[in-house]
Amino acid sequence: MSAPSEGGAATGAAPDDGATVWHYDGVSALRRRARLLVEGDALVLVEDGVAGARVPIADLVPGHADAGAASFGLKGRPGWRIDFAGPVPPALRARLPGAVRYGGWVDRLGLWRAATAFAAVAAVVVVIVLRTPAMVARLVPASVERQLGETMVGDFGRRGCTDAAGRAALATLAHRIDPDAPRLEVDVVKLPMVNAVTLPGGRIVVFDGLIQAARSPDEVAGVVAHEIGHVRHRDVMEGLLRQFGLSVLLGGMEGHVGGYTNTILATAYSHDAEAKADGYAIQLLRDAKVSPLPTATFFDRLGRGGPGKAERMLAYLATHPVSADRARRFRQSALAGGYAPALAPAQWQALRGICRGDTDRIDWRF
Amino acid sequence: MTDETRAEPRAFRFRGTWQDYAPIAFTNLLLTIVTLGIYSFWGRARTRRYLWSRTIFIDDRLEWTGTGLELFVGYILAFLFFVLPFGIINLVLQGVLMRGHQGAAALLVGVLYLIALFLIGVARFRALRYRLSRTLWHGIRGGSDRQGVAYGWSWFWRSLVATLTAYLMMPWSMARLWNERWNTMSFGSLHFRSDARWQPVFGRFMLFYLAPVVLFFAILAMIAIGIGAGMMAGIKPGAPPPAGAIVTFALLGIAFYLVFFGVLGVIAAAFFSAFFREAVGATSLGDLEFGFEARTMDWVKLFVGNYALVIFTFGVGYIFVPYRNWAFFIRHLAAYGSVAIDTLTQSQTRAPGQGEGLLDAFDVGAF
Repeated sequence: MSAPSEGGAATGAAPDDGATVWHYDGVSALRRRARLLVEGDALVLVEDGVAGARVPIADLVPGHADAGAASFGLKGRPGWRIDFAGPVPPALRARLPGAVRYGGWVDRLGLWRAATAFAAVAAVVVVIVLRTPAMVARLVPASVERQLGETMVGDFGRRGCTDAAGRAALATLAHRIDPDAPRLEVDVVKLPMVNAVTLPGGRIVVFDGLIQAARSPDEVAGVVAHEIGHVRHRDVMEGLLRQFGLSVLLGGMEGHVGGYTNTILATAYSHDAEAKADGYAIQLLRDAKVSPLPTATFFDRLGRGGPGKAERMLAYLATHPVSADRARRFRQSALAGGYAPALAPAQWQALRGICRGDTDRIDWRF
Repeated sequence: MTDETRAEPRAFRFRGTWQDYAPIAFTNLLLTIVTLGIYSFWGRARTRRYLWSRTIFIDDRLEWTGTGLELFVGYILAFLFFVLPFGIINLVLQGVLMRGHQGAAALLVGVLYLIALFLIGVARFRALRYRLSRTLWHGIRGGSDRQGVAYGWSWFWRSLVATLTAYLMMPWSMARLWNERWNTMSFGSLHFRSDARWQPVFGRFMLFYLAPVVLFFAILAMIAIGIGAGMMAGIKPGAPPPAGAIVTFALLGIAFYLVFFGVLGVIAAAFFSAFFREAVGATSLGDLEFGFEARTMDWVKLFVGNYALVIFTFGVGYIFVPYRNWAFFIRHLAAYGSVAIDTLTQSQTRAPGQGEGLLDAFDVGAF
């Protein structure tokens, strides 16, 4: 480019230890060539032999190190610039503020030390965000969680299947598995998916598809016991809190990177929660003297995928990863005997007919 | 590029090299990872400082004066005032849906969509204003006296009109919005003027508009021929087809997919190249006329290059995409005429305090 032609001046050979600079005053676009002189704590720009105002060195704002050429601005004077056409004379450089490269903290610490420090802080923050939901979830009063559940899911499930005999059988089943839970809410909705979910607020919803796919009341009992495990462990509340924490934490990540990280971390924790809920379910079944073997068989069937029902089965698999390990765990927990069916045959028939007369029609409501 | 071979030096030149930029890109990536993404705002400011400083206009380089902190504050504000409320409404929406009020939910989504549409318009305006206000040349910066609300409304209703006319009025909407945006922008004491027209690009747009229909029927015909051929090869319905046939069909499927989006992509590039030539060519600043010289194939090369860069480096190459985009933009940007340096004085517009948070929040591109 059109650098000053007298290259010698820019090398600092001049006796006044000055340098040739390009100068903009920030008011007009005029590009001026000036001679920069140091006088005590100030700089003086000399243009065509005329000296300008003194500029305190302390007020100079260093330009960016990546900019390719040394450049300085002036505090309180936007657009005011001096650009060094060549290298800054060493005597002058010692007095001028150093250039900014990465930003305040990183420049002060140095890249690698800053990166290490940031990584350590980040690790602590991630651990806190991942660990605290488990503690906080248990501190959230049940009434608050119920309120949140009402906001999020409303009366979904409560408008479930209403057959009187079926509901009585369902209540019997729930009481059989967990006799100490007076407030446990279990409903069946007429949806063909083979699935069961715990909603925020601790309500359990079983889909009719699962009841139809089950071959005995014990299989339903195992699934419901698993969901009771989620309710007791406050897993839904914990998941909501963790999801919120992660999305705030990773919100700054560019594009989909944050989303993927979020999903991976959340999935890792949901596997953990599933395993714990299984452990709880096994204990409940043992206390209730319901055999865990049918549940194991049910998982086996899901794992294989029933003919023609694959897409319905997928729903349960997506939220409750079925592995050989899960079935094995239930199977190994079986005792020699002393089990009784979860429901009497007549009650089981009633439960299977709980959605009799209900439609799965979705109507538009305002 | 071809800069040096031309007899006349170009007004805009880009002097960066990717080797020069690589240390910036990689340290940005490192710091972004160890700060869980927070550094990305400072990283972006650093990238821009590099790109701007290697961009020469006539006799001196540009300077980017924006900071990472501004971008960060802008993002936080957008998060507090837009992302968080939208998130809460989403939660309510879920509740409304679960209660079975699909009608109310649909209404709510519709209203949200309209509000978002307006806000995206405002965001685009403010992002351009912010960028101009942080771009320094000869110590002079750009800006705008407007806040972007009027532009937001204009964006809102023009986009709606474009949508309601089955996108036939899209070129009209794009050209008018371009003019409206640039006519309120200034650099120093000079005002930008733009009078881009939609008529010159409408032909290319119709090509883009009708191509999917033509392609769809072409592919339908090919499938029919394929099925005919399959029957001849003796595939009986019910019986499992031979492995060779499955592989052939899979390959055909992939080929169709590539052709469909490849052809559509090229046609889209044809439209965008025409639009940018028209829009930038209709824009001026004082006695300075701008021009944009990228042809369709230049755009295709840019996009194919970007995709290849990202795919063959397993995503890491993404850090060089901003560099490639900027280099492309500057190397095809032309300016004719002159700048009266002695009458160009500092911008009197109010410089916005923070960065493009709203644009970040909606995740819309810059150009």
